Amino acid sequence: MEGVRVPAARELSVQLTVNGAPRAATVPARTLLVHFLRDHLRLTGTHVGCDTTQCGACTVALDGVAVKSCTVLAAQADGHEVTTIEGLAAATQDGGDPADDALDPVQRAFKDEHALQCGYCTPGMVMAVRQLLADHPDPTEDQVRHALSGNICRCTGYQNIVAAALRAAAGGAGAGTGTGREG
Amino acid sequence: MFPADFAYARARSLDDAFDLFDEAAAAGEEAKLIAGGQSLLPMMKLRLATPQVLIDLADVAELKRGQWTGSGHTIGALTTYRQLGRGRYVYRDGTPAPVNGAARLVDQIPALGDALAVLADPQVRARGTIGGAVAHGDPAADLPAVLLALDAELAIASRRGERAAALDGFLHGIYATDLAEDEIITHVRVRTAGAGGSAYEKFPHPASHLPLAGVCAVIRLRDGLIERAEVAVTGISPCPYRAREAERLLSGAPPAPDALAAAAARVTRQDGEEVSLLGDQHASGPYRAHLAEVLARRALATALDRARAATGEHATEERP
Repeated sequence: MEGVRVPAARELSVQLTVNGAPRAATVPARTLLVHFLRDHLRLTGTHVGCDTTQCGACTVALDGVAVKSCTVLAAQADGHEVTTIEGLAAATQDGGDPADDALDPVQRAFKDEHALQCGYCTPGMVMAVRQLLADHPDPTEDQVRHALSGNICRCTGYQNIVAAALRAAAGGAGAGTGTGREG
Repeated sequence: MFPADFAYARARSLDDAFDLFDEAAAAGEEAKLIAGGQSLLPMMKLRLATPQVLIDLADVAELKRGQWTGSGHTIGALTTYRQLGRGRYVYRDGTPAPVNGAARLVDQIPALGDALAVLADPQVRARGTIGGAVAHGDPAADLPAVLLALDAELAIASRRGERAAALDGFLHGIYATDLAEDEIITHVRVRTAGAGGSAYEKFPHPASHLPLAGVCAVIRLRDGLIERAEVAVTGISPCPYRAREAERLLSGAPPAPDALAAAAARVTRQDGEEVSLLGDQHASGPYRAHLAEVLARRALATALDRARAATGEHATEERP
């Protein structure tokens, strides 16, 4: 690579593409990606649950692959692409919630199957299910449950979340969800 | 919850990383390497680790490349668990390995596939790396058991040059390894010859998914007998280890359930005595030892079935 190596620094300029748009900010090196998204970019759809890499509420796609954004530094994501739950469906023109027909197929399947109660885990669940369907477009129920082992829900008992994943798969949601950027 | 303050830099080459080591040392600061960060960042958030300088290896291309040889496979240290499982790592010349081709490592080493399917969760597997798994020295990591059973060797680089180290002996104890402060693991080399008869079994903690006990077994058959077996155990003692007493019992033994059970009963013994057992609020030492014996029986039975399938012999009728 060209140029002079950047010395270690406690404050960093971070530039990444979030939901298709370039975003930049100068942040402390210890800033976690989830806090960068929520506090600096005001994308509060990505939730902090356990904050210990277990519950999956903070799941986002980093270069097209689902990761836990509480366990990624914003600095590590510098120069990369992030997709959050906000990136799946366009808001209405006045900034309201997306119309039904604008929802991502996985979001619509969650709605149709009542796959949430409080909704706290839902953004992470949706991102994890999208990853599952990108990897396995036609999963078995067992594969769905296994693929969601990194996401915890305390309301639903998972039944309707699994049903939503299977419904989305049956509707062909797995086709074309990968970004092809994965190395 | 976020880590204590630190300075961050992304190395673009091994030389960059060595420079950053030197700069931190000159400033009297503790530097730590970060790859996927799936073990290190949680520890930093809990302030169990408080490095003052974090050197990110993510852009060091030479740590991403692997290489085939006749009987083994050299894996770039930055290869993620997800890439390992899907075969999406690149060879030294930069070409990606085929995803569904015969070259998939998990097809050649079924135990690796077993471990990658149950290691942490999909999101963690997308970030965590094989080099990190080895360098971290976690007593309850899954992959080191598989790597130990496959006689893994590490390629280690520093300003002083390169060296090779057997993984067996490299792991010293809880978060303790043979890696010096200015050294970087660049590659992990595993044996693929005879690895078809292999299996990994674990008993996971339901929340963390870490193994309360995990056992990898590799069996090679010859003339209807077990020619050699390797057995490695994780999660129950200060570091993963090779269960050599069990291995000796299996060498030359008939491939029968009672022989496997007798070996499994010795899986917590080393050098004539019981291994040092770890216990905590999740599981006592003796309970983990019990799990290790049960898991060893299962892993050996599956490894035997796979060894037979690889050599075209019949599957076992009885399973422990």
